[in-house]
Amino acid sequence: MTKNRFTIALAGNANVGKSVIFNQLTGLHQHIGNWPGKTVEKAEGTLHFKGYSVDIIDLPGIYSLSTFSLEELISREYIAVEKPDLVINVVDASLFERNLFFTLQLLELETPMIMALNQMDVAKRKGIKIDHEELEKRFGILVIPTVAVSGSGIYELLEKAIEVIEKGGKRPFQVKYGEEVEERIEALSEIVKKAHYPYPARWTAIKLLEKDEQVEREIHRINPEILSATEKFAREIEDIHGYACSSVITSERYDVSRRIAREVREITPPIKPPMSERIHALTTHKICGYPIMAVSMLSIFYLIFTFGDFTSGLLGDTLFRLKPVFEDVFGTGVVGKLAWGGIMEGIIGGVTVALPYILPFYFILYFLEDSGYLSRIAFLMDSIMHKIGLHGKAFIPVMLGFGCNVPGCLGCRIMETTRERLLAAFVVTLVPCSATTVIILGLVGAFVSIQWALALYLINLLIIFLLGRLAFKALPGEPTALIMEMHDYRAPHLKTVLKQTWFRLVEFITMAFPLIIVGSLVIKTIEILNLLEPLADIISPVTVTWLGLPAIAGIALIFGVLRKELTLIMLATLFEPTNLAHAMTPVQMIVFTLVAMLYIPCVATIAALVKEFGWKKALFIAVFEILLALLLGGIAFRLLSI
Amino acid sequence: MILELRLSNLRNGESGIITSVGVGRGRWQHRRARQGWRFGKRLEDMGLTPGTEVTVVNSAPLNGPLEIRVRGSRLAIGRGMAERIFVEVKR
Repeated sequence: MTKNRFTIALAGNANVGKSVIFNQLTGLHQHIGNWPGKTVEKAEGTLHFKGYSVDIIDLPGIYSLSTFSLEELISREYIAVEKPDLVINVVDASLFERNLFFTLQLLELETPMIMALNQMDVAKRKGIKIDHEELEKRFGILVIPTVAVSGSGIYELLEKAIEVIEKGGKRPFQVKYGEEVEERIEALSEIVKKAHYPYPARWTAIKLLEKDEQVEREIHRINPEILSATEKFAREIEDIHGYACSSVITSERYDVSRRIAREVREITPPIKPPMSERIHALTTHKICGYPIMAVSMLSIFYLIFTFGDFTSGLLGDTLFRLKPVFEDVFGTGVVGKLAWGGIMEGIIGGVTVALPYILPFYFILYFLEDSGYLSRIAFLMDSIMHKIGLHGKAFIPVMLGFGCNVPGCLGCRIMETTRERLLAAFVVTLVPCSATTVIILGLVGAFVSIQWALALYLINLLIIFLLGRLAFKALPGEPTALIMEMHDYRAPHLKTVLKQTWFRLVEFITMAFPLIIVGSLVIKTIEILNLLEPLADIISPVTVTWLGLPAIAGIALIFGVLRKELTLIMLATLFEPTNLAHAMTPVQMIVFTLVAMLYIPCVATIAALVKEFGWKKALFIAVFEILLALLLGGIAFRLLSI
Repeated sequence: MILELRLSNLRNGESGIITSVGVGRGRWQHRRARQGWRFGKRLEDMGLTPGTEVTVVNSAPLNGPLEIRVRGSRLAIGRGMAERIFVEVKR
């Protein structure tokens, strides 16, 4: 073989140590992006081994290859259509039966594969022994026991993987179903074979019997007769078993998994329940669980924001000291103003707002996810989050949104379906972040009354509640209730968590910074061209007539797009030297704050939305919120002026 | 006595055998059946197939989700979903 560049895909359930293996294999040569045109994360890395360059693709962690989620569709399309040279199926030895269910589906895709039997240490502690040689014989694939967190078995895994590829990657065995099902699968595959479908015939036949939406649709386009044949077979199976054919197939697959698991596995349960079990019981307890959660959440919040405030101040001070340098280089003319006020202040905004908060946030998010606590929080908070149309997992992003909407939006990727992600992100952008809180307290709290400030905060929460429910009803697609695995607690693999944090951070910077800088440049240009006041006049029908605000307040609102707390700073600067208390009436202040609170996610949040959901949805959310803010502001003005 | 109950009606610590997952023998083109298919499929993919033993371990307050053990793994499942799973229990 002359080829010296290979592709290996890692596939397996969530939380089996796949990303640890990925990180062990690829080191620092990684690239995190999205699958083309999809909002699902794609992690790629490259390694060099024995003169070969090997691209490693970390497929999303999934439980099946049906059409439940985008992740499942992407994975099966990738394996069947892109045809990686080898698939490494990462299996959790301590949860063998469930993992084999997925392995069987991979085998059906008839791709060359080997198995990494991971978490051997955890399995051992649980008293589980697996005869991996016997397993090799069953599937016709190599099985390599690994402990990813300590790196044990990883070298051998790679060595064997290359060996298999060098030999041309032989096909694994096919696992047989029960006789009455098997007969029909074979008969149907014979028919499917003539259809020239990119997937293996047997796999397609099985998927048809499972009533897989996508396969049905595509096969229908090729030859609708296949579907009627399928229906006939499906009915026969349904008559034999007495329930839906798709259930029969899934049951059969699980039965096979169980049978194989029993044959190659020995369990001698330990006498003492492990520590992780006791922590689990405590953290999901219906009374103790909540205070523990509250304390952990508050400490996380405190940690992120003290770290953030400190670093943000430090970075800001340091960068602002560069101002004289810039003025020396670019002068104080138009160029100088643009260079400093446009580009540098934009960068400073990005650096001081985004980085100090996003860095610790990502770290803690991956830490929580990897340790298993995230799923316990979701368990405890599910019923409360349901009230705003979300489910338990959304609690973390929404809570973080109170600090800063940006990490909140980015955190929505822990949700399973696109619909859930979008819903959660929408709610997050409505959450009053720390900058909004500054406006509420600094304007209404300081100049009107603290009761009004509180009232505004409550109104905001009420809006979240109402809009969350409304969006839940309005958004197309099916609502999905909570169903998730709560894997055993474990110590997160620090190196993996750090790398995940780092690469996500880099990805965010490359995405958000250009947008932040462009936004800042545009506004600075408007300012330099002395267009701010004409602009304020143009929007005065909205600001003055509809909202009853002073025309100049419109400028403050425009600046708020960059960073929301700028609205307050701008307001103070614009009304100099008069005291704010004389420049605006209490009603104007309340209306202004209400609008500032809701009107648009700041440019960094928009960048986060673009990154996660694309331009269209991000702009839709921004425009919707501007209109909403104007509508409510106008109503408030009229109600309060009576 | 053997009773057929919804999974959500099981007491903590109680086990049952799944008899059906709230999805009828779906018609092929009918949209509601489709949604039912997806719902049932998801549960089945997670191991909740008819004939499987499932144990309710714990439940979150305020009609929150249930913690169940099935096929050696631990799942959290929303109450709405649990209401559509029928199990046979010995009481």
